[in-house]
Amino acid sequence: MILVLFVVAFVTFCLMHLVPGGPWDRDKQLPQTVIDNLNRKYGLNQPFFVQFKNYIFNAVRGDLGVSYIYQDRSVTSIIMGGFPVSATLGLVAFLIAILVGVPLGIAAAIKQNSFVDYFAVIFATIFASMPNFVLGILLMIIFSVTLHWFPTSGWGSIRQIIMPAFALAALPAAYMARISRASMLDVTRQDYIRTARAKGLTERVVLVRHILRNAMIPVITIAGPELAGLVTGSFIVESLFSVPGIGRLFVQSVSQRDYGLIMGTVLFYAFAIAIINLVVDILYGMIDPRIRYD
Amino acid sequence: MTDTQQPNPSEMAEVTQARPHRTLLNDAWIRLRRNRLAVAGAIIILIFALGAIFAPLITKYNFAKQDLDSIFLQPSGVHWLGTDELGRDVFARMLYGARTSLAVGIFTQLIVLLIGLPIGAFAGSKGGRVDNLLMRFVDIMYGFPDILLIILLSAVLRGTVFGNMGGGIFVIFLAIGLVAWVNVSRLVRGQILSLKQRDFVTAARAMGGKGTYITMRHLLPNSLGPIIVSITFGVPRAIFTEAALSYIGIGVKPPTPSWGAMIHDGYNVMFTAPHLVIVPAVAIALIMLAFTFLGDGLRDALDPRSRR
Amino acid sequence: MSTLLDVRNLVTRFHTQDGVVKAVNGASFTVAKGETIAIVGESGCGKSVTSLSILRLIAQPQGKIVSGEALLDGTDLLKLSAEEMRKIRGARISMIFQEPMSSLNPVLTIGRQMTEQLELHRHMGQQEALAEAINLLKLVGIPQAERRVKDYPHHFSGGMRQRVMIAMAISCKPQLVIADEPTTAVDVTIQSQLLELIRGITDEMGMSLILITHNLGVVARYARRVYVMYAGTVVEHGPALSVYHHPLHPYTSGLLASVPRLDEPRKGRLAPIEGQPPDMMCPPVGCPFQPRCAYALPKCLTDRPELQEMAPGHFTACWVAFSGETLWQKT
Repeated sequence: MILVLFVVAFVTFCLMHLVPGGPWDRDKQLPQTVIDNLNRKYGLNQPFFVQFKNYIFNAVRGDLGVSYIYQDRSVTSIIMGGFPVSATLGLVAFLIAILVGVPLGIAAAIKQNSFVDYFAVIFATIFASMPNFVLGILLMIIFSVTLHWFPTSGWGSIRQIIMPAFALAALPAAYMARISRASMLDVTRQDYIRTARAKGLTERVVLVRHILRNAMIPVITIAGPELAGLVTGSFIVESLFSVPGIGRLFVQSVSQRDYGLIMGTVLFYAFAIAIINLVVDILYGMIDPRIRYD
Repeated sequence: MTDTQQPNPSEMAEVTQARPHRTLLNDAWIRLRRNRLAVAGAIIILIFALGAIFAPLITKYNFAKQDLDSIFLQPSGVHWLGTDELGRDVFARMLYGARTSLAVGIFTQLIVLLIGLPIGAFAGSKGGRVDNLLMRFVDIMYGFPDILLIILLSAVLRGTVFGNMGGGIFVIFLAIGLVAWVNVSRLVRGQILSLKQRDFVTAARAMGGKGTYITMRHLLPNSLGPIIVSITFGVPRAIFTEAALSYIGIGVKPPTPSWGAMIHDGYNVMFTAPHLVIVPAVAIALIMLAFTFLGDGLRDALDPRSRR
Repeated sequence: MSTLLDVRNLVTRFHTQDGVVKAVNGASFTVAKGETIAIVGESGCGKSVTSLSILRLIAQPQGKIVSGEALLDGTDLLKLSAEEMRKIRGARISMIFQEPMSSLNPVLTIGRQMTEQLELHRHMGQQEALAEAINLLKLVGIPQAERRVKDYPHHFSGGMRQRVMIAMAISCKPQLVIADEPTTAVDVTIQSQLLELIRGITDEMGMSLILITHNLGVVARYARRVYVMYAGTVVEHGPALSVYHHPLHPYTSGLLASVPRLDEPRKGRLAPIEGQPPDMMCPPVGCPFQPRCAYALPKCLTDRPELQEMAPGHFTACWVAFSGETLWQKT
């Protein structure tokens, strides 16, 4: 994991310095002396590897440097300002995805080939293939422009969270529904389910104690990475709904060539994903006794 | 217990061979054809493709031609889908935008194949340290949030010689392709590793087949199924990424038409001229849906285990 | 000896993408109380499907029990409601499956998988059930039962898992145990141990046992009567020794001949039965074994023989046998 983060940092650092233009490009070109001074102040005139080394040293101690654009704020504080927003949005979306997707998938598997099944499969396929910002736009058109139920932007009230959360949740929900259904069907075909039935257990017990417990393992496996992706924010949806989260920050930092912020956000993303995956691995061990380290 | 009909002995030989003989590809094709969603998807893709190719014949409007006297027109007989904020015909922009999207979809996957296939095949068939090295590399790339990498890459590549090719579209091809090949290489490697153990490979070796020959003639053709499916799903992902990038403003450069850019342009006037945003949104959704249905159909058709 | 199970003319079919497979094509057999019978035959002859049909564990809607009767103490199992059938499973008839590696739920402890049956059918409380489960584990020869009862299936070897399956099968004191190829997937060294165990327990507890196997070596030792199945139907049945020493069907004779024997001099080759098992979607008209039979008469191609008693308790379905000329017998 450490290796991954290190390489991520290094590659990003390289790429950043390859991006044409510098952090001081403005519409009105600054005089060269000013640029030189700024470069010296931020250590940008030093050799490449020295800059990198310095950066890493600071980063490990939690100091991700200063934003080049918002010069009075540290990158860390900017990220910490944006992260809770993205995290909240991501969590809400995750909850929606689980609470809608998983029961739908399970119901579809239980009543195979029924109306519920067809509906679930179609639903899952459509929402799984629609990009979230397209869905966001369609939601906006329907619910904001036509019905005037929800505002199209802003952050803070529940009404403002709902649309972006749903837009974000659609794909994971569909994916979870599909995985749940497939997993249920797969487990139901297994030998040990036949054994359970041969023992005379009621269908309900077979379903809950035997089928579900096994079927939910793959669902939990994918839930982790999905959560990681959601929590770290979808920059598209955030841009669309003007949600002040990390994703939007990142986009801005790239187009403004704010080196500090770019590095900071990328590292943060990679770190957050790695942590979440680690937590998921641990959870997975608790659910499936076969992979416990005993 | 008797059957209703008793064929005479000379017919029996044929009767006992009654089960139809099918090769894998043959079988896959038949099953694919039966899948109505997949067929629907293929038709939609075809319509878009034809529209994109024959755009100049279908509409007389150019996607870049501005007509400041007729801005924000609603759909009508003259302008089938209305006009945008610069008076450009929306239908034309949609058709030409299809070119962009389809091009992105196809060329990115081409790059993915050109890079991912050889690398994955190489890693899988050689094994050992080469394999380890490559997989380490793949793991590291997996640790990257990929959209971020794509954004960075496209920003970098813009400044290079590729930046001006095709109005910035080449940059997008490369950025997406260079990030997405990892998946395919992993897939190919996995396939080859599992196939290497199989008996038919040992048989081929016993007949004196050399390494490359075995890879080309035996291993790769048998891995084709999942690769095809992966590519088919990769197209809508690439299309989406390009649209997203263009929406944010770091995609193709205007005046090259792009559905994502259309959404960007129309966002501010969504309340007054919603069609400017609906048209590209629906187009994106449709084409992605179509490819997904097709991909699903292909996956089911090519999976030898899913016979009912 | 009174009859416990009486299966008559069972017909089970499967509807597949390519056609209808007539897996069981009119099979009949009986099991007396406390008796052990064996059903033998090659893979695909329908023996497993027969036992699954009795317990109505056939996967629907592809599979369907088309006709026939299965009378357990006079009640036709095939006509019971789902709920009534469920009460019989595990409690009056239980089954031991072939694949120990996949027949146990991987995420539940062995103990739990045993106690759930005890709680359900024997109405035991938690503590009582756990104690009984430990007893049963000891009975089937699992060491350190108190500790092992909390373990998961993947902590056990194949042979051990099969012992657990045996324990589960007898836990609710059923009248009939069906053992479907219980030793096929297990090491050779363990096979006889397991069979001894199964036979021993069922004998001691007065349970009837149906032993399904393709291993003829097992049959004579453990079963009183044998049913030989081919192409979904019974082609010969009778007392084990009678069938062994005087097979009245060329198929049985072929099966016996194809097993290597220690008491005979080493010959050049084994003697397999020529040909392939029939395609159950289009089974042959007339005698199902006819395409592979070295002794076939013209009549065998057109008319299907029905079972007839040719020796005391020994039935066969073969035109050649009916004519008295059992050319395949050595003596």
